[in-house]
Amino acid sequence: MTSLYDRRMVLFSGKGGVGKTTLASAFALSCARKGQRTLLIELNVKDRLNAIFGSVEVGPEIVEIEQNLFAVNISPRVAMEEYGLMKLRVKVVYKAVFENRVVQSFLRVVPGLNDLLMLGKSHFHAMEVDSSGKFIWDKIVIDAPATGHGIFFLKIPSVITSILESGPMFSDAKKIEEFLRDPKMTAINLVTLPEEMPVNETLELRQTLVDELKMPIGMIVANSVYEPVFDEQELQWVLDADPDKFEDTQTQGFVDAAKFRAQRVEMQAEYLERLENTLSEPFVRVPYYFTERFDFQTIAKIADEIDEQLGEESGSQRSAG
Amino acid sequence: MASTDASNQFADLISRREVVVCVGSGGVGKTTTSAVIALHAALEGRKALVLTIDPAKRLANSLGVDALDNEPTRIPIDRFEEVGLEPKGELWAMMLDMKKSFDHLVDRHAPDEKSRQAILNNKLYQYFSTSLAGTQEYAAAERLYEIYTNGEYDLIVLDTPPTSHALDFLEAPNRLVDAINSRAMQFLYRPTSGLLSVGTNYVIKTLSRFTGGEMLSELGTFLKAFSTLFAGFQERAGKVRELMTSDVTTFTVITAPTAGNIDEAIYFHKKLGADHARVGGFVTNRVHPAWVPRAELSRPSGQLSRELSGLSQAYDALDRDAQKEFARKIRSNATDFQVLADLDAEAIELLRDTIPRKIPILRVPYFAHDIHSLAGLDHVRRSLFVA
Repeated sequence: MTSLYDRRMVLFSGKGGVGKTTLASAFALSCARKGQRTLLIELNVKDRLNAIFGSVEVGPEIVEIEQNLFAVNISPRVAMEEYGLMKLRVKVVYKAVFENRVVQSFLRVVPGLNDLLMLGKSHFHAMEVDSSGKFIWDKIVIDAPATGHGIFFLKIPSVITSILESGPMFSDAKKIEEFLRDPKMTAINLVTLPEEMPVNETLELRQTLVDELKMPIGMIVANSVYEPVFDEQELQWVLDADPDKFEDTQTQGFVDAAKFRAQRVEMQAEYLERLENTLSEPFVRVPYYFTERFDFQTIAKIADEIDEQLGEESGSQRSAG
Repeated sequence: MASTDASNQFADLISRREVVVCVGSGGVGKTTTSAVIALHAALEGRKALVLTIDPAKRLANSLGVDALDNEPTRIPIDRFEEVGLEPKGELWAMMLDMKKSFDHLVDRHAPDEKSRQAILNNKLYQYFSTSLAGTQEYAAAERLYEIYTNGEYDLIVLDTPPTSHALDFLEAPNRLVDAINSRAMQFLYRPTSGLLSVGTNYVIKTLSRFTGGEMLSELGTFLKAFSTLFAGFQERAGKVRELMTSDVTTFTVITAPTAGNIDEAIYFHKKLGADHARVGGFVTNRVHPAWVPRAELSRPSGQLSRELSGLSQAYDALDRDAQKEFARKIRSNATDFQVLADLDAEAIELLRDTIPRKIPILRVPYFAHDIHSLAGLDHVRRSLFVA
């Protein structure tokens, strides 16, 4: 299998609120630190990268946010203009056609057009070459939409190729579809929390991607995994303690906090095991950070974490095969 | 954990409303909270329905039924008895099937059989009926309205779609109507002079260079057929809006105390207010309890290790150094969680400072276990309504 770091385009999806942006940022940073010229893409969302990287607000223009790391927040409107100009070459013609009021309102209601434009622009960057024919970007990392919308987003090219039989839109969609399905080019990473709902959704999403969309999964990331503070024996003392033993004292608070940790660790272990038993893809665990503020330092730590665990994965695969 | 005042105020509000719309970003416990509000009403003696859009298998399981479908299902009384509850009213639940609901809308609003078939058979409609901007929200609002006007339930709790790109649930019906109504659209399908009927038109020729003629004609058929639904949609959207902004309805914003979620909750509140919808309360889920006050965290490990004596026989049997080592772990863990409790408190304070004081903010603690049973829902209910 092609290593995750060798794919041209790496996407992150998963249930809402599991940390897709955090993981996409960390992975992009990890690539950039390896010397890969990396473009991190947000898809028409309220920018969150500026808060993470302490950069300027990321908009539809590509900006450099770290060494080797660039970011863009794709706007479908701007993407359409760029695409239109690229094909028509003459701005006056573009304006006459695309800024025509009738056409504008027509385009506004074309289903899936925004998603196609954003996917098209991402694909364009993945294949973009300079005058000497060398790729401009080593890596495209996409913070993709959450599960439900995510499937719809990735499905768009296939929907178009099944509706149409030929024409320019058909061939563009076909190219993107093939690219997304090529395990040498693309990987879709799934982020989850070791909890009931996110795990269920992740397993369903994985099934849909593999069976229906036929797209290659990269790694599965279990985010926010509590690091065990207590050993097994200590966990048991805490879990078995009489719940009101220290009632009305501060000691009870200490025990309750420990018990909460113990119960979460126990619950997470179950879901981690379930994931590990079900999955064949590289599986990365990112620890819970007791900071909540996902600033650059936390992202950098997560980047190291991914790097180390993926290194182990490919190492063990090499020795196995 | 919620203060008694906030709980009472919220319970009182729910008892005086017939529709509760739960809004909030994905992953904050919206479905669970919706079910808990309906459960509360059922226990209070009302006939309550929770209407969800999430393919929430877990909600079905929590409620003790195999699955939920497009029609309301009553939660059997023995499920309540099993967990020691005696509802004076009834709890019903249903899951909106988007495809069925939208087909149903086409059935109702198509002006004639020919248009109906044209829409249902259109390839684009088949792919996109449930994913066009605003269609989910529109279908949910329609169904809510339908159930409301049938008058079978005392309370309907709506769990809104978990979309982040369609933040404004309330605007959706109008947006959909606008999209198919815009005057410019009329030009597209006007038979003789419309954009799509004039194959030689310069504009259409240029567009074809991008899409191919086939795509344009598919789209033309789709939009033309869809626009026949317009009159029906417009009328209904007006009525739905009226219901949403009337005295019988209250909006509850569900959130979690992370900076991003609180920002969105504030945004929801602002948007809803601008739309004349009334936000009656905020429910903040997953609040880390302040187990140990900050001042207590600095106690020496020797002291804490003595205080812990009696925790378990095995602990008591340890030597002093080992006990101290364990006490240090206990202290470090409490310190970890104190950081989170502080951050949560800070986030909630920001929310409190931003929204009017008359709107209650309820806090549900972070539970160590997932909520996946009726007993679990009841646990949340008690922390929400019986502070």
